[in-house]
Amino acid sequence: MTDCGCEKAKAELEEYLDRELNEADFQDVSDHLENCESCTSEHLVALALKLKVKQACRETAPDELRNAILSKLADA
Amino acid sequence: MTALLSTQPDAVISELGLSLMTTDRVEPSATDTAAADKRRQFEEQALPYMDQLFGAAMRMTRNPSDAADLVQETFVKAFQAFGQFQQGTNLKAWLYRIQTNTFINIYRKNQRSPYQGTIDELEDWQLGGAESITQSVSTRSAEAEAIDHLPDSAVKDALQSIPEDFRFAVYFADVEGFSYQEIADIMKTPVGTVMSRLHRGRRMLRELLADYARDRTPGTPASSRSKK
Repeated sequence: MTDCGCEKAKAELEEYLDRELNEADFQDVSDHLENCESCTSEHLVALALKLKVKQACRETAPDELRNAILSKLADA
Repeated sequence: MTALLSTQPDAVISELGLSLMTTDRVEPSATDTAAADKRRQFEEQALPYMDQLFGAAMRMTRNPSDAADLVQETFVKAFQAFGQFQQGTNLKAWLYRIQTNTFINIYRKNQRSPYQGTIDELEDWQLGGAESITQSVSTRSAEAEAIDHLPDSAVKDALQSIPEDFRFAVYFADVEGFSYQEIADIMKTPVGTVMSRLHRGRRMLRELLADYARDRTPGTPASSRSKK
């Protein structure tokens, strides 16, 4: 268990959020978040935003589009 | 032409102005079957991404009719290029790359954002404050809570109002879950640029949504936090 400190955690929080860190760095940031309320709260805002964007942008293609594409492919 | 005959005989016949209605319905040749197989394979593999591509197209073009046109064009191009797609590699990313290219080629010509071209050179201070550093834990908790309760329309509007390159990076990462490297491939930029666009895009979004939430809270002056 190593606490990397706020500076490293803050710098890598976004890559942590996006699961882009290697295992060791990911663990360092995780360990830091366990003990740091400030970084955790910052992470939770970023996570809330990420999840919200994902949820808000869900769309369903109109049926006509599906039919139009199928007939285009048949003619291609 | 032979491939067409096996799949859409009536359409082709009417296109050729022929009145023969039965002669084309003979045993399909080997090439006909191969073409039909290719189309079936493409439909099975690529069509399931239609909703997602349409969602991305909505954020790109900002309206359902242009979005539908873009997705249709994307599928036609992808089908034509499907022979070059390497089975086993990332089809979703491949489709997004085609759609993004198509969008840029068709639409960017007409509707250039005022920022376009210089956006990556803008300094951070031009893009809105970095106030999160000085926020307290309770302020951040309230912010996360407010974000949770935002209506979807507010999020889409905010996303729509940030410059295209930032919007795409955020969309690709958050909605589609693409890796930085995949986004770099789709947007044809270095990974470092992707990271910087993501970072700035999210910060702008956060700022806009904080403003939105504040404006809807009774008793709070509309732009009390603005430092301009």
